[in-house]
Amino acid sequence: MKTIGLLILRIKEYLILTVFVVISLVLIFNNDNTQIRFLRAFAIGFVGTLQSGVSAVPNVFELQSENKYLREKNIELANEVASLKEAKLENIRLSKLLTLKEANVLGVISASIVNKSLVQTRNTITINAGENDSIKVNMPVVTDDGLVGKIVGVSKNYSIAQILYNKDLRISAKVQRSRVDGIFTYDGVGNLVLTNVPKAADVNPGDLIITSEYSNLFPGGIPLGTVLETGNLDNLFKKITVKPAVNFNILEEIFVVKSQPNKEKSDLEKLFMNK
Amino acid sequence: MIVSYLKYIAVIILLVAVQKTLIWLIALSNYNIAPDLVILMVIYVGIARGHIEGSIIGFLSGLMIDMLSGSFLGLSALSYTLAGFIAGYFCIREREEFLKKYFLIGIVFLCALIGNSIYFLIFYQGSPISVFNIFLIYVLSTTTYTTIVGSLFILFIKDSKKTAYS
Repeated sequence: MKTIGLLILRIKEYLILTVFVVISLVLIFNNDNTQIRFLRAFAIGFVGTLQSGVSAVPNVFELQSENKYLREKNIELANEVASLKEAKLENIRLSKLLTLKEANVLGVISASIVNKSLVQTRNTITINAGENDSIKVNMPVVTDDGLVGKIVGVSKNYSIAQILYNKDLRISAKVQRSRVDGIFTYDGVGNLVLTNVPKAADVNPGDLIITSEYSNLFPGGIPLGTVLETGNLDNLFKKITVKPAVNFNILEEIFVVKSQPNKEKSDLEKLFMNK
Repeated sequence: MIVSYLKYIAVIILLVAVQKTLIWLIALSNYNIAPDLVILMVIYVGIARGHIEGSIIGFLSGLMIDMLSGSFLGLSALSYTLAGFIAGYFCIREREEFLKKYFLIGIVFLCALIGNSIYFLIFYQGSPISVFNIFLIYVLSTTTYTTIVGSLFILFIKDSKKTAYS
């Protein structure tokens, strides 16, 4: 205590100076004039420069926790980006479907696919709309890209549709450019084909295949796919492989077109065939 | 001691009054330069009594000037405190043999230079005048004029002491 007292006595001049200087500085910095604003700005800049210099030195104790935080943040942001991408794609799909819905004069029922098989010879999809949504057997199923198939089974809230990759589905089709008719079907081993096309018919790779107006089930003009390659099946007919217009692997939402076969026409045709 | 403090304060009040009212009589108004009589008194107290008295009188007189000017409270207090404190390093009680006439003038110049530097360099912050020009136009000229006026006082004090001793 005595030592402290002696020390204070020894430096009392400096203590008094410090007190007066501090009081003066407090008074100065309580002013609000241009000079003080400038000095404050200078002081802030000076301290900022010092802090940036100090912050350049890595703090090894904080790096670990900072890394952990950044990793967590990274995962969080990656999830968010993925979900935003998903939402964007969904938005694009739904926008296109909405366009189709508005363009379709027959009227459509929208539905989502809840089950799908693509690896069998008789592939189908199950959709979450049924009798309660006015869906009936034989109604065509489409997307904005083209024909998907037709309804073959209906319950109250669900329906099953044959898709193009089903051996039992045969569609009356034509080449859009040359108007050549044929039967569009699935060969059961992975290829969609246009059959019954004469060997001399004008069909080239890239030609668009659409549903024919002759079909009693499907409205005419719905895209089925494009010609992938052509060859000779035998002496009479061509072998035409078709790439589907619809990508069944990523198919999620569809529309069921409210169209029914013309009963009078089909009855007449049946009667004639039975004769 | 209190009496001597009161004397100093009385003289300071008088000098502050003169500084604020009559200094224009000897100011070089064309160049905006005026001697600082108050800082001369502060330096005198520092030299005559030491650091503590120099600081105290410097702070009080500076505060008085600031309050009367009303523009920048604390700035004169700071510059006068430091001038008075530095003058204390040349306290006449301890180093009388060094305090020759011209050396004393040098001390006045040094202390006034420090005080004026602090004052003007802070006062003109944020203005378009460069630091060099502030130093040349305001600090150096005011300090020189103050030292010239202070030299007259020094000569007067020396002569009066000589008269007293004889």
